Amino acid sequence: MPSIVVDMTAANMNLVTEKRNAKVKPSLIMVDNVDALADSQLVFQDLFTTDASIVAATGVAVAGGAQAVNRLRINVSIDACVSLRDELKDVKFLGGARVDRTVLGVPTLDAGCHVTLGYDLE
Amino acid sequence: MLELKPQPLATVSPPIPKLLQEGYYVRFTDQWPLTLPHVKGKTFQIEKTNQVPYDITRIIPGGNYCDVDMSNATGGENIYPENTKTLYETILGFKPGNYLVHFYIPAGEYVHRLEQAGMVPNVASATLRYLGARKPEDSPYDDKRIFTYSVKDLEPLLLRVLVDNGVAFEKIVLGLVVNKCYLKQITPTAERLARAKKIDYYTELRW
Repeated sequence: MPSIVVDMTAANMNLVTEKRNAKVKPSLIMVDNVDALADSQLVFQDLFTTDASIVAATGVAVAGGAQAVNRLRINVSIDACVSLRDELKDVKFLGGARVDRTVLGVPTLDAGCHVTLGYDLE
Repeated sequence: MLELKPQPLATVSPPIPKLLQEGYYVRFTDQWPLTLPHVKGKTFQIEKTNQVPYDITRIIPGGNYCDVDMSNATGGENIYPENTKTLYETILGFKPGNYLVHFYIPAGEYVHRLEQAGMVPNVASATLRYLGARKPEDSPYDDKRIFTYSVKDLEPLLLRVLVDNGVAFEKIVLGLVVNKCYLKQITPTAERLARAKKIDYYTELRW
Protein backbone atom coordinates (compact mmCIF):
# COMPACT_ATOMS: atom_id res chain seq x y z
CA MET A 1 0.00 0.00 0.00
CA PRO A 2 1.70 3.23 -1.13
CA SER A 3 1.10 6.56 0.53
CA ILE A 4 1.84 10.18 -0.19
CA VAL A 5 1.99 13.35 1.89
CA VAL A 6 1.41 16.78 0.37
CA ASP A 7 1.56 20.24 1.90
CA MET A 8 -1.10 22.49 0.44
CA THR A 9 1.40 24.86 -1.16
CA ALA A 10 -1.22 25.42 -3.86
CA ALA A 11 -4.98 25.45 -3.63
CA ASN A 12 -5.07 22.27 -5.78
CA MET A 13 -2.56 19.47 -5.19
CA ASN A 14 -2.29 16.28 -7.19
CA LEU A 15 -2.04 13.14 -5.09
CA VAL A 16 -2.05 10.21 -7.54
CA THR A 17 -1.89 10.07 -11.32
CA GLU A 18 -4.19 7.71 -13.15
CA LYS A 19 -3.16 4.09 -13.60
CA ARG A 20 -5.00 3.18 -16.75
CA ASN A 21 -5.88 -0.41 -15.87
CA ALA A 22 -6.75 0.09 -12.20
CA LYS A 23 -8.85 2.15 -9.83
CA VAL A 24 -7.37 3.99 -6.86
CA LYS A 25 -8.83 2.69 -3.59
CA PRO A 26 -7.99 5.02 -0.70
CA SER A 27 -7.37 3.25 2.58
CA LEU A 28 -6.31 6.24 4.67
CA ILE A 29 -6.82 9.97 4.50
CA MET A 30 -5.26 12.11 7.19
CA VAL A 31 -5.49 15.88 7.30
CA ASP A 32 -3.18 17.68 9.69
CA ASN A 33 -4.45 21.24 10.02
CA VAL A 34 -2.59 22.07 13.24
CA ASP A 35 -0.08 24.37 11.56
CA ALA A 36 -2.61 25.94 9.19
CA LEU A 37 -3.77 29.53 9.49
CA ALA A 38 -7.50 28.83 9.02
CA ASP A 39 -10.15 26.13 8.92
CA SER A 40 -9.81 24.03 5.75
CA GLN A 41 -12.50 22.74 3.44
CA LEU A 42 -11.04 19.92 1.40
CA VAL A 43 -12.55 18.22 -1.63
CA PHE A 44 -10.98 15.09 -3.07
CA GLN A 45 -11.50 14.99 -6.80
CA ASP A 46 -11.40 12.09 -9.23
CA LEU A 47 -9.78 13.20 -12.51
CA PHE A 48 -10.17 11.10 -15.64
CA THR A 49 -11.01 11.25 -19.32
CA THR A 50 -13.95 9.36 -20.69
CA ASP A 51 -13.89 7.42 -23.95
CA ALA A 52 -16.36 7.91 -26.76
CA SER A 53 -19.59 6.03 -26.12
CA ILE A 54 -23.23 5.74 -27.16
CA VAL A 55 -26.29 6.44 -25.02
CA ALA A 56 -28.00 3.06 -24.80
CA ALA A 57 -31.53 4.46 -24.61
CA THR A 58 -31.28 6.80 -27.59
CA GLY A 59 -28.35 5.65 -29.70
CA VAL A 60 -26.82 9.11 -29.57
CA ALA A 61 -23.04 9.18 -29.79
CA VAL A 62 -21.18 10.95 -27.00
CA ALA A 63 -17.63 12.21 -27.38
CA GLY A 64 -15.13 11.55 -24.63
CA GLY A 65 -13.85 14.35 -22.43
CA ALA A 66 -12.07 15.33 -19.25
CA GLN A 67 -14.06 14.90 -16.04
CA ALA A 68 -13.59 16.00 -12.44
CA VAL A 69 -15.89 14.26 -9.96
CA ASN A 70 -16.05 15.08 -6.27
CA ARG A 71 -15.51 11.88 -4.27
CA LEU A 72 -15.11 13.20 -0.73
CA ARG A 73 -15.56 16.51 1.10
CA ILE A 74 -14.26 17.20 4.60
CA ASN A 75 -14.00 20.26 6.83
CA VAL A 76 -11.08 20.38 9.25
CA SER A 77 -10.86 23.03 11.92
CA ILE A 78 -7.73 24.95 12.65
CA ASP A 79 -5.54 23.12 15.20
CA ALA A 80 -7.27 19.81 14.33
CA CYS A 81 -5.90 16.58 12.91
CA VAL A 82 -8.40 14.17 11.32
CA SER A 83 -7.96 10.69 9.92
CA LEU A 84 -10.39 8.53 7.96
CA ARG A 85 -10.16 4.79 7.42
CA ASP A 86 -13.44 2.86 7.65
CA GLU A 87 -15.34 5.75 6.08
CA LEU A 88 -13.34 5.20 2.90
CA LYS A 89 -14.40 1.65 2.15
CA ASP A 90 -16.86 2.72 -0.55
CA VAL A 91 -14.73 5.47 -2.05
CA LYS A 92 -12.87 4.78 -5.30
CA PHE A 93 -11.20 6.93 -7.89
CA LEU A 94 -11.50 5.85 -11.53
CA GLY A 95 -8.60 8.08 -12.54
CA GLY A 96 -6.17 10.30 -10.69
CA ALA A 97 -6.78 11.89 -7.28
CA ARG A 98 -6.44 15.57 -6.44
CA VAL A 99 -7.24 17.55 -3.31
CA ASP A 100 -8.65 21.07 -3.52
CA ARG A 101 -8.52 23.38 -0.49
CA THR A 102 -10.80 26.33 0.12
CA VAL A 103 -11.30 28.71 3.04
CA LEU A 104 -14.81 30.12 3.27
CA GLY A 105 -15.35 29.07 -0.36
CA VAL A 106 -12.19 30.72 -1.69
CA PRO A 107 -9.36 28.57 -3.09
CA THR A 108 -6.50 29.09 -0.68
CA LEU A 109 -3.04 27.64 -0.33
CA ASP A 110 -1.54 27.00 3.09
CA ALA A 111 1.70 25.04 3.49
CA GLY A 112 0.69 24.35 7.09
CA CYS A 113 -2.14 22.10 5.95
CA HIS A 114 -0.77 18.59 5.38
CA VAL A 115 -2.73 15.86 3.59
CA THR A 116 -1.76 12.18 3.68
CA LEU A 117 -3.30 9.64 1.34
CA GLY A 118 -2.74 5.89 1.64
CA TYR A 119 -4.16 3.82 -1.20
CA ASP A 120 -4.26 0.58 -3.10
CA LEU A 121 -4.52 0.05 -6.84
CA GLU A 122 -7.17 -2.47 -7.76
CA MET B 1 -14.77 -20.51 -30.67
CA LEU B 2 -16.33 -18.77 -27.66
CA GLU B 3 -16.71 -20.61 -24.37
CA LEU B 4 -17.54 -19.76 -20.79
CA LYS B 5 -15.94 -22.41 -18.62
CA PRO B 6 -18.00 -22.87 -15.46
CA GLN B 7 -16.46 -23.30 -12.05
CA PRO B 8 -15.40 -26.94 -11.66
CA LEU B 9 -17.48 -29.31 -9.54
CA ALA B 10 -14.37 -31.13 -8.44
CA THR B 11 -10.63 -30.79 -8.73
CA VAL B 12 -8.26 -33.36 -10.13
CA SER B 13 -4.67 -34.02 -9.22
CA PRO B 14 -2.35 -33.39 -10.93
CA PRO B 15 -4.26 -30.37 -12.23
CA ILE B 16 -5.13 -30.01 -15.91
CA PRO B 17 -3.57 -26.97 -17.61
CA LYS B 18 -6.06 -24.24 -18.35
CA LEU B 19 -4.52 -23.27 -21.68
CA LEU B 20 -3.54 -25.23 -24.75
CA GLN B 21 -0.05 -26.64 -24.40
CA GLU B 22 2.72 -27.81 -26.70
CA GLY B 23 1.90 -31.20 -28.15
CA TYR B 24 -1.86 -30.79 -27.82
CA TYR B 25 -4.10 -31.45 -30.81
CA VAL B 26 -6.75 -29.10 -32.11
CA ARG B 27 -9.36 -29.81 -34.78
CA PHE B 28 -11.35 -27.23 -36.71
CA THR B 29 -14.76 -28.49 -37.76
CA ASP B 30 -15.98 -28.71 -41.34
CA GLN B 31 -18.31 -25.80 -40.61
CA TRP B 32 -15.44 -23.34 -40.92
CA PRO B 33 -15.94 -21.49 -44.24
CA LEU B 34 -14.07 -21.87 -47.52
CA THR B 35 -12.79 -18.35 -46.98
CA LEU B 36 -10.63 -19.75 -44.18
CA PRO B 37 -9.00 -22.65 -46.08
CA HIS B 38 -5.97 -22.69 -43.80
CA VAL B 39 -8.04 -24.22 -40.98
CA LYS B 40 -11.32 -25.55 -42.42
CA GLY B 41 -11.74 -29.20 -41.44
CA LYS B 42 -8.06 -29.56 -40.53
CA THR B 43 -6.30 -31.07 -37.55
CA PHE B 44 -3.14 -29.62 -36.06
CA GLN B 45 -0.62 -30.31 -33.36
CA ILE B 46 0.63 -27.36 -31.34
CA GLU B 47 4.36 -26.98 -31.79
CA LYS B 48 4.97 -24.07 -29.44
CA THR B 49 3.09 -21.56 -27.34
CA ASN B 50 3.67 -18.12 -25.87
CA GLN B 51 1.36 -16.33 -23.43
CA VAL B 52 0.93 -12.59 -23.87
CA PRO B 53 -1.06 -10.61 -21.26
CA TYR B 54 -2.86 -7.42 -22.24
CA ASP B 55 -5.45 -5.11 -20.67
CA ILE B 56 -8.09 -3.09 -22.50
CA THR B 57 -9.61 -0.18 -20.59
CA ARG B 58 -12.51 2.18 -21.13
CA ILE B 59 -14.19 4.81 -18.94
CA ILE B 60 -17.73 5.70 -20.01
CA PRO B 61 -20.84 7.22 -18.36
CA GLY B 62 -23.60 5.15 -16.79
CA GLY B 63 -26.32 4.13 -19.27
CA ASN B 64 -23.86 4.26 -22.17
CA TYR B 65 -22.08 1.55 -24.08
CA CYS B 66 -19.07 1.16 -26.34
CA ASP B 67 -17.99 -1.58 -28.72
CA VAL B 68 -14.59 -3.21 -28.43
CA ASP B 69 -13.51 -4.86 -31.67
CA MET B 70 -11.02 -7.64 -30.99
CA SER B 71 -9.98 -8.00 -34.64
CA ASN B 72 -7.16 -6.36 -36.57
CA ALA B 73 -9.57 -4.13 -38.51
CA THR B 74 -9.10 -0.37 -38.42
CA GLY B 75 -10.06 0.78 -34.93
CA GLY B 76 -9.81 -2.76 -33.60
CA GLU B 77 -7.70 -3.94 -30.71
CA ASN B 78 -5.51 -6.13 -32.97
CA ILE B 79 -5.98 -9.33 -30.97
CA TYR B 80 -6.13 -11.58 -34.06
CA PRO B 81 -3.26 -13.54 -35.63
CA GLU B 82 -1.64 -12.44 -38.87
CA ASN B 83 -0.03 -15.80 -39.64
CA THR B 84 -2.08 -18.64 -41.11
CA LYS B 85 -0.21 -21.12 -38.89
CA THR B 86 -1.12 -19.32 -35.68
CA LEU B 87 -4.10 -19.90 -33.42
CA TYR B 88 -4.84 -17.40 -30.68
CA GLU B 89 -6.51 -18.86 -27.62
CA THR B 90 -7.55 -15.74 -25.73
CA ILE B 91 -8.86 -15.87 -22.20
CA LEU B 92 -10.84 -12.91 -20.97
CA GLY B 93 -11.60 -11.71 -17.44
CA PHE B 94 -13.10 -8.56 -15.99
CA LYS B 95 -12.15 -6.32 -13.11
CA PRO B 96 -15.11 -5.58 -10.81
CA GLY B 97 -17.56 -2.87 -11.82
CA ASN B 98 -21.15 -2.08 -12.69
CA TYR B 99 -21.08 -3.24 -16.30
CA LEU B 100 -22.33 -5.95 -18.66
CA VAL B 101 -20.69 -7.42 -21.75
CA HIS B 102 -22.51 -8.74 -24.82
CA PHE B 103 -20.74 -10.70 -27.55
CA TYR B 104 -21.35 -10.26 -31.26
CA ILE B 105 -19.71 -12.01 -34.20
CA PRO B 106 -19.72 -10.55 -36.74
CA ALA B 107 -21.07 -7.09 -35.91
CA GLY B 108 -24.82 -7.10 -35.33
CA GLU B 109 -25.15 -10.87 -34.81
CA TYR B 110 -25.59 -11.93 -31.20
CA VAL B 111 -23.74 -14.94 -29.87
CA HIS B 112 -26.18 -15.51 -27.02
CA ARG B 113 -29.90 -15.43 -27.75
CA LEU B 114 -32.94 -17.53 -27.01
CA GLU B 115 -35.29 -19.12 -29.49
CA GLN B 116 -38.44 -17.10 -28.88
CA ALA B 117 -38.73 -14.16 -31.27
CA GLY B 118 -37.42 -10.97 -29.73
CA MET B 119 -35.41 -12.72 -27.03
CA VAL B 120 -32.17 -11.13 -28.14
CA PRO B 121 -29.76 -8.92 -26.23
CA ASN B 122 -30.67 -5.25 -26.40
CA VAL B 123 -28.78 -2.64 -24.42
CA ALA B 124 -31.61 -0.14 -24.97
CA SER B 125 -34.08 -2.36 -23.12
CA ALA B 126 -34.36 -2.25 -19.33
CA THR B 127 -34.83 -6.04 -19.28
CA LEU B 128 -33.16 -7.45 -22.41
CA ARG B 129 -29.88 -5.78 -21.52
CA TYR B 130 -29.40 -8.65 -19.08
CA LEU B 131 -30.12 -11.35 -21.66
CA GLY B 132 -26.94 -13.09 -22.69
CA ALA B 133 -24.80 -10.57 -20.85
CA ARG B 134 -21.68 -11.57 -18.97
CA LYS B 135 -20.99 -9.80 -15.70
CA PRO B 136 -17.59 -9.24 -14.11
CA GLU B 137 -18.25 -11.97 -11.55
CA ASP B 138 -18.81 -14.52 -14.35
CA SER B 139 -15.16 -14.30 -15.35
CA PRO B 140 -13.03 -12.56 -12.72
CA TYR B 141 -9.81 -10.86 -13.76
CA ASP B 142 -7.75 -13.26 -11.62
CA ASP B 143 -9.68 -16.39 -12.66
CA LYS B 144 -10.51 -15.87 -16.30
CA ARG B 145 -13.19 -18.21 -17.62
CA ILE B 146 -14.14 -16.86 -21.03
CA PHE B 147 -12.16 -18.47 -23.83
CA THR B 148 -12.13 -17.32 -27.44
CA TYR B 149 -10.30 -18.81 -30.41
CA SER B 150 -9.24 -16.77 -33.41
CA VAL B 151 -7.33 -17.37 -36.62
CA LYS B 152 -6.19 -15.07 -39.38
CA ASP B 153 -9.04 -13.39 -41.25
CA LEU B 154 -11.78 -14.56 -38.88
CA GLU B 155 -14.72 -12.15 -38.79
CA PRO B 156 -14.48 -9.53 -36.04
CA LEU B 157 -15.57 -10.49 -32.54
CA LEU B 158 -17.20 -7.48 -30.88
CA LEU B 159 -17.67 -6.93 -27.17
CA ARG B 160 -20.49 -4.49 -26.46
CA VAL B 161 -19.75 -3.10 -23.01
CA LEU B 162 -22.66 -1.42 -21.25
CA VAL B 163 -22.26 0.54 -18.03
CA ASP B 164 -25.49 -0.18 -16.23
CA ASN B 165 -27.56 2.52 -14.56
CA GLY B 166 -26.70 3.40 -10.97
CA VAL B 167 -23.29 4.98 -11.40
CA ALA B 168 -22.26 8.24 -13.02
CA PHE B 169 -19.16 6.71 -14.61
CA GLU B 170 -17.44 3.37 -14.60
CA LYS B 171 -13.98 2.13 -15.48
CA ILE B 172 -14.03 -1.10 -17.47
CA VAL B 173 -10.92 -3.25 -17.43
CA LEU B 174 -10.89 -6.26 -19.75
CA GLY B 175 -7.95 -8.49 -18.86
CA LEU B 176 -6.66 -10.74 -21.63
CA VAL B 177 -4.08 -13.45 -21.87
CA VAL B 178 -3.39 -14.36 -25.48
CA ASN B 179 -2.04 -17.91 -25.73
CA LYS B 180 -0.25 -17.86 -29.06
CA CYS B 181 -0.18 -21.36 -30.52
CA TYR B 182 2.00 -22.24 -33.51
CA LEU B 183 0.29 -25.00 -35.47
CA LYS B 184 1.62 -27.91 -37.50
CA GLN B 185 -0.92 -29.71 -39.67
CA ILE B 186 -1.07 -33.45 -39.05
CA THR B 187 -2.88 -36.40 -40.51
CA PRO B 188 -5.77 -37.15 -38.21
CA THR B 189 -6.02 -40.61 -36.73
CA ALA B 190 -8.82 -41.92 -34.55
CA GLU B 191 -6.64 -41.59 -31.48
CA ARG B 192 -5.56 -38.03 -32.32
CA LEU B 193 -9.12 -36.99 -33.15
CA ALA B 194 -10.34 -38.36 -29.85
CA ARG B 195 -7.77 -36.29 -27.97
CA ALA B 196 -8.05 -33.15 -30.09
CA LYS B 197 -9.80 -30.06 -28.84
CA LYS B 198 -12.65 -29.34 -31.23
CA ILE B 199 -12.87 -25.70 -32.27
CA ASP B 200 -16.30 -24.80 -33.60
CA TYR B 201 -17.05 -22.06 -36.05
CA TYR B 202 -19.20 -19.33 -34.54
CA THR B 203 -22.23 -20.31 -36.62
CA GLU B 204 -22.32 -23.57 -34.66
CA LEU B 205 -23.06 -21.59 -31.51
CA ARG B 206 -26.37 -20.39 -32.99
CA TRP B 207 -29.17 -22.70 -33.95
